[in-house]
Amino acid sequence: MRATDDSMEATLRARRDSTPSRQSSSRRDRSNRKTRHAVQDDNPEPASEHHRRHNSLEQGAIVTEGGVRPPNFFAVREKLFSCSSLRRTNTTASNTTTATTTNMASAGGKWREEQILIICPGSRTTMAQLGCSELTPPTHRFPTRMFKDGDEWRPYYTYQRKRVVDGVEKEEWVEDVDEDEGATWPIQGGQIVNMDAFLAFLDHVHSMLTTTYHNTPIMLMASPQWTRPDCEAIAQYIFEKTRTPALCMINSAIATQYGLKFPNMTVVDIGYEKVDVTAIYDGRVVNHLDLGPPRFDDKISGGEVFTQKLMKLLEGKKFNRDMAEQLKKSPICEVLPYAPNAKSLVDLPKETGVAQPVAEPEKVVEVPESNDAPKPPAATNSTEAENGEQNGDDDGVLDVASIVTSGQTREFLAKKEKEKGKPGRKPKDKEGDAAPSKAPRLPNSKRTHNTFFYEEVVQEIVNPEPKEKPATNGSAEKPSEPVPAGQTTDGQPAPATAPAATTTGDAMDVDSKAAAPADAPATETAPEAAKPEAATESKPEGAVEPKTEGEAEPNPTAVAEPKPEAAAESIPESAAESKPEAQPEPAVPNDTPEYRPKRVRRDIDIGLERFTFAERSEIDRIVTTIYRTIQGVDDMYMRPACWDNLVFVGNGSRLRGLKENILQTLNARHLVSPSTATMFTSELPSNMATPTGTGSQTPTGSFTGAPHQLPSSGVNPLLQAATTASTLGVAAVGTPQPGSDAAGPTTTHHFHSQTPTSIKTVGLPTYLQEWTKNGFEESMFLGAQVAARIVFCLHSNMDLQSVEAQRLANLSRIDYNELGPKGIRTHSMLS
Amino acid sequence: MAQQPLSSAAQPTDIYGGDEVSALVLDPGYCNTRAGWAGEDVPKSILPSFYGHSTATPTQNFFGDERLIPRADFEIRNYMNKDSVVEDWDVAPKIWEHMLINRLQPDKQTPPSKNGLNDDPKEKTQDGEGDVAMEETENQEIEKLLQENPLLVTEAPWNTPKAREKTTEVIMETWGCPAFWLSRTPVLSAFAAGKATALVIDVGGANTSVAAIHDGMVLKRSIQKSPIGGLWLSSQIRSLWETSEPKVTLTPTYMVENKTPVDALAPVQARLRQFPYQIHSSFRAYEEERVLTEFKESVVEVWNKPGRLNSPGNEEFAKTLPGRVFEMPDGWNQMWREQRFKLTEGLFDETAGYPLPEEERVAKNQTIPALIRAALEAVDVDLRGNLLANVVVTGSTTLINGFNDRLQNELAAMYPGMKIKIHAAGLTSERRFGAWIGGSILASLGTFHQMWISRKEYEENGPGIVEKRCK
Repeated sequence: MRATDDSMEATLRARRDSTPSRQSSSRRDRSNRKTRHAVQDDNPEPASEHHRRHNSLEQGAIVTEGGVRPPNFFAVREKLFSCSSLRRTNTTASNTTTATTTNMASAGGKWREEQILIICPGSRTTMAQLGCSELTPPTHRFPTRMFKDGDEWRPYYTYQRKRVVDGVEKEEWVEDVDEDEGATWPIQGGQIVNMDAFLAFLDHVHSMLTTTYHNTPIMLMASPQWTRPDCEAIAQYIFEKTRTPALCMINSAIATQYGLKFPNMTVVDIGYEKVDVTAIYDGRVVNHLDLGPPRFDDKISGGEVFTQKLMKLLEGKKFNRDMAEQLKKSPICEVLPYAPNAKSLVDLPKETGVAQPVAEPEKVVEVPESNDAPKPPAATNSTEAENGEQNGDDDGVLDVASIVTSGQTREFLAKKEKEKGKPGRKPKDKEGDAAPSKAPRLPNSKRTHNTFFYEEVVQEIVNPEPKEKPATNGSAEKPSEPVPAGQTTDGQPAPATAPAATTTGDAMDVDSKAAAPADAPATETAPEAAKPEAATESKPEGAVEPKTEGEAEPNPTAVAEPKPEAAAESIPESAAESKPEAQPEPAVPNDTPEYRPKRVRRDIDIGLERFTFAERSEIDRIVTTIYRTIQGVDDMYMRPACWDNLVFVGNGSRLRGLKENILQTLNARHLVSPSTATMFTSELPSNMATPTGTGSQTPTGSFTGAPHQLPSSGVNPLLQAATTASTLGVAAVGTPQPGSDAAGPTTTHHFHSQTPTSIKTVGLPTYLQEWTKNGFEESMFLGAQVAARIVFCLHSNMDLQSVEAQRLANLSRIDYNELGPKGIRTHSMLS
Repeated sequence: MAQQPLSSAAQPTDIYGGDEVSALVLDPGYCNTRAGWAGEDVPKSILPSFYGHSTATPTQNFFGDERLIPRADFEIRNYMNKDSVVEDWDVAPKIWEHMLINRLQPDKQTPPSKNGLNDDPKEKTQDGEGDVAMEETENQEIEKLLQENPLLVTEAPWNTPKAREKTTEVIMETWGCPAFWLSRTPVLSAFAAGKATALVIDVGGANTSVAAIHDGMVLKRSIQKSPIGGLWLSSQIRSLWETSEPKVTLTPTYMVENKTPVDALAPVQARLRQFPYQIHSSFRAYEEERVLTEFKESVVEVWNKPGRLNSPGNEEFAKTLPGRVFEMPDGWNQMWREQRFKLTEGLFDETAGYPLPEEERVAKNQTIPALIRAALEAVDVDLRGNLLANVVVTGSTTLINGFNDRLQNELAAMYPGMKIKIHAAGLTSERRFGAWIGGSILASLGTFHQMWISRKEYEENGPGIVEKRCK
């Protein structure tokens, strides 16, 4: 009892004593925020005008802020520090920092932009790059996985195989860069599930990109799911096991914000197995909800959900994961727009010849009986008929759009069917060959069937002996190799071949390396398919003319001869290797046959599955989470800004139409429209805050918009803070004034208005061509680069506050030595 | 290079700042449960105390707002009761674990001893022993989920001794915490406001409490409690909608597929969602509460002009004040004027407000002024002046516009001539999480280290220690 009192008293005394220091440090903390933005302006990137304006307002706010909102925000943290012996630590820390700062300033350009290592880990793929002088898409992408080998971790799948060379049997270890078998994926749904593997992976990424730790500061992006001990463990590893001079950890949503440069945003990050929705106001995370992380949720969310659904729908066609993934990425797979009146909320394309209203998707779907290579073109007269009808269809298409929205689909279709009365085109014809010829006329979303060009890499056995090489490129006949042909047609390629086709960055390397041997198979399939699309193939192999092929014919042999030995030892990354399981009995007694990747294309006809895979329930789940995240932001005045600046990132959002559908659903379901009630009464709109005696909320001309709508820039709370706070003076420090102030300090404004009154996505920057090409789905990487520049490379024209802010944004080795791993809590950009 | 696991246990905390204990703070309430690291300014993990329970076999619980979506065989339950005391002791530890461990601690699915990394190849020769050792460590891992973190848990001032002991057992036996402390919410709220002596008025979700704090201790006789709070206000709103002309139907958001804008008071044009399964009434009630919350945020206000709402002339004046439009999830929209003041009037005047069913009606001694009067009358006369000069207002319901002005008016009328000073945090989060923030401050104080009830102390005295120490 006595002890309690004593401690309380001591505490309170400490707090009272510490008031001045609290004030100053609170100011410091705020300035941190400010300079993050201010600093951004020095950035070579053209900051948007809006952003600049925001900065100036914010600065204005901060100048006077010290006097007004003392007990809040950061003050709490300061209270904590000032109250205890922690203060000791704190003061020592700041003493040393002064020294540090001067060092840094004198060092002048401590780090150059080329030195900085940027790592953005994802559950599937990790983006990394050394240097941030050019704001380009990541130069490297690594699969985020490791392989356990005893008590060590290896970056690649490694196996031992036997090989007969010149009659001598040899054993050798082979690394297969594309193999996933037995891999540990240290991040699942954004959470680090295996820290050891993750740290080993970081080490691997680092060693792939640079050789030295001495002057390579690291910018590491952290998922919102990373816990505080996770971050501390990473910091500890980096500082104690490597010689990294400084580490900056940045929240992925904040990184996105730095990439796109809007002070207020809602970042919807659709990843591999999770969806993160983060509301950011004024550069700070104000709310966050997530779907899918394995420890929180019963069910994953994100891109993988759609792949799995596709697989399930196309089970009948023997789709494997790789096929489903490729189909999902292909242009024929899309999420159709939200159709508010349709029964299943989507307007699926209909067989125009059949008077069938929008039905349950599953019923419409008919699974073709075969999945072989596409049928040869049907009789030409049918094509003519098609063409004739196509025009009719074209006209119809426009009608369909309007008619469907008018909700009279049924009648219209019945009518049209009567009018036509033509001998029915068999759906067969349509799905078989007409698809390509129709392509230019009918958009994918209006077609019941479309052709999916599935490309896979099969391992072809090539006997090293030149004479037995079964190269038959010159002739346009079917390839004579039995093995690859068998693999392609049964739709079940060996598992080993699957990853090669999917990995983006690596696959290209593989292609170029194996280009010579792969040419042959690629062109073999092209004539076989007999499609005009073959010319449009973007793959380099497909473009190669058969003629040159004939000339190059001996080449593969020549290359192949030295390869078996060389590849195994010196070029382990070459995709020429494959798994031993696939190795058949050696046909030739002398040498083991060599495997070589071969690109095979198959055309598969896909019905409505390519639309119906986008389950309504999954989209609803995301929509609801977005709604709850923003509506759950504590302060109401922040919500309109968050609603007006939605951004979808994460490669899961690359799925065609998904973003649009989510946005349409949000608008149809949650948008609050201007009410006629206010118009009749010609009164103040309901979004006016209640006037408090200060007059600060007296209506101004800024309320010119529609009633119920909050002009986003009209009453900036920060501006108001700046204008009203100065009148109160510094007397208010520590204890708020009674009276009108009893309702809380005047700087907080209650915007009592329902949201959302508008839902918009942000405009994406256009000045970064590389990124426009790449897509801004990975803009968190861009943001990490921008942040890295600001944190590590900015040294001139900085005032004391900026220097301090910079110091608090990253954990340097000096600070680490002082604070230990927990320094990452305060010296980071994690929240 | 060999990758040595870096368990957080190995952190050389003794080298870097010996005071660092990484304490956790848990603040359970009826509407929300807050958890986070001591020393931070907001709780990192805020979950509704409502959780989803799937009655399908096997039964399953869903924690977190993202998870509370329409499902088959799905009920919404709450592990707390409306007195803010834990009711369901089967679920409480689970939801707390979900927050303290799943959300705040790294994944320990593969502790270093189990993941095979540290298996010494030599050990495998002595087969049997190695296995036994591994099983032991495994058990330890499960038992000692929080063995590195002291834990501070908040409780309502009227928490029962039984519930306190139960909490203690969960903390010490189930989680293996090295130390713990139970603290009453009003003390912590006062602490968050930087006061050791204060009159704390906490208008929360399920109830309102008034308590006098002196030198960091609750004065037990002063504790007053009433069911008026967020939920009571919700029933006021329901009553308003029931009685208003035309009657307002409450269609919760989850039922609306999409809506078309309509004129004020015009019939709704919305497409409702169809579910192939039955939606449980508890789910609907929970969802309705969301709409009511939005209504409270954007429409409801407290009469803060001089006098009460039913003082002569005031009601007429209220009718001339600008109204607020509220659009329901299904598109129904209507202007609300004097009603929005009347809704909250019952907080201060039991005769005002909208008619409620008998059991929800507020007695004369349950309004906020009555609670304050009763609390002050229970304390020494000498203390009253000091308490009135340090009134701390906390709880989400106090965020309703005008509340503090009104409270100021009421207090001034009740205690003329006394110095009355209201302290209410300006930040929404500080008002909502006042008790948690106070706990965060307390648990991170260097001077508090001697206060923790340690494992040793617990083992010597048993769960009864909490009654002796945490007064």
